[in-house]
Amino acid sequence: MEIDDLKRDWLNLDFDEQKFELRADQMLDFARAVGETAPRFTDPDDPDFQAPPTFTARFHSRRLLPDEFPRIGLPLDAGKAVMPQHPLRAGTELVGRSHLHEIYEKTGRSGRMIFLVARMELYEGEKLASIVDSRMVIREKPNQ
Amino acid sequence: MTSRRFSDVEFGEDLPPLTPDTSIPNVTTFVKAAGMLNERFTDHEAARKQGLPGAIVPGIMSQAVMASMIHHWAPEAQVEKIDTVFRAPVLVGHPHTVTGVVTDMDDDAHTVEIDLTLENEAGETRVLGTATVRLP
Repeated sequence: MEIDDLKRDWLNLDFDEQKFELRADQMLDFARAVGETAPRFTDPDDPDFQAPPTFTARFHSRRLLPDEFPRIGLPLDAGKAVMPQHPLRAGTELVGRSHLHEIYEKTGRSGRMIFLVARMELYEGEKLASIVDSRMVIREKPNQ
Repeated sequence: MTSRRFSDVEFGEDLPPLTPDTSIPNVTTFVKAAGMLNERFTDHEAARKQGLPGAIVPGIMSQAVMASMIHHWAPEAQVEKIDTVFRAPVLVGHPHTVTGVVTDMDDDAHTVEIDLTLENEAGETRVLGTATVRLP
């Protein structure tokens, strides 16, 4: 499987759309469990009460990859990046749209590994609210 | 909490380490809040049946703990980006330490880059990360 072919066929095409709601109780428990102490994360009465910056990492698409994406191996979790764009308030509804944002390869002693970055862009109305990148790695089977 | 401004930060500065609460009750609270209910996070025996060495802390909890450490250091800091690599399991109920060091500073944008590490009690790196943080 050529990387350039995967890029040509699969990059930047939306393959999933989901709605999410930001609930105050979940924001609070999330913040407290990870040790946040700033009132803007832990006090719902704080005028600046907002979700912790990585809260949107909990949102995920219904599928890891597009339905017809080639079955070249089992995708394993290789990391996650979050890029908050502005504070997120309780009660907000977000729409998350997912696409493959990056495809690249690395070759090591055990063979080729293909990295896929699925990006979910979360919108609050028309405004981009947060970006979540999920990095997956597929260890290519020897005969491919 | 002490406010920390960009002008207070020094290149190479170590952030105060944070010891996250990895107890089963706390991880259970997290996975409920994160909608990640799975026994692999909250039940050692069930996790072992799934081939894990014991219950594990979700990757996104480790990531959020790293962001929390940044806020302990600089309460008004705004995390613009945090990127983490889940290198090995973080075991529930075991002591871990999160550390960070300032590796770059942008005078114009008032942002700093921070290298982040989460280690277990043996000093083995379990999660790696970098963050871009804006300071007042």
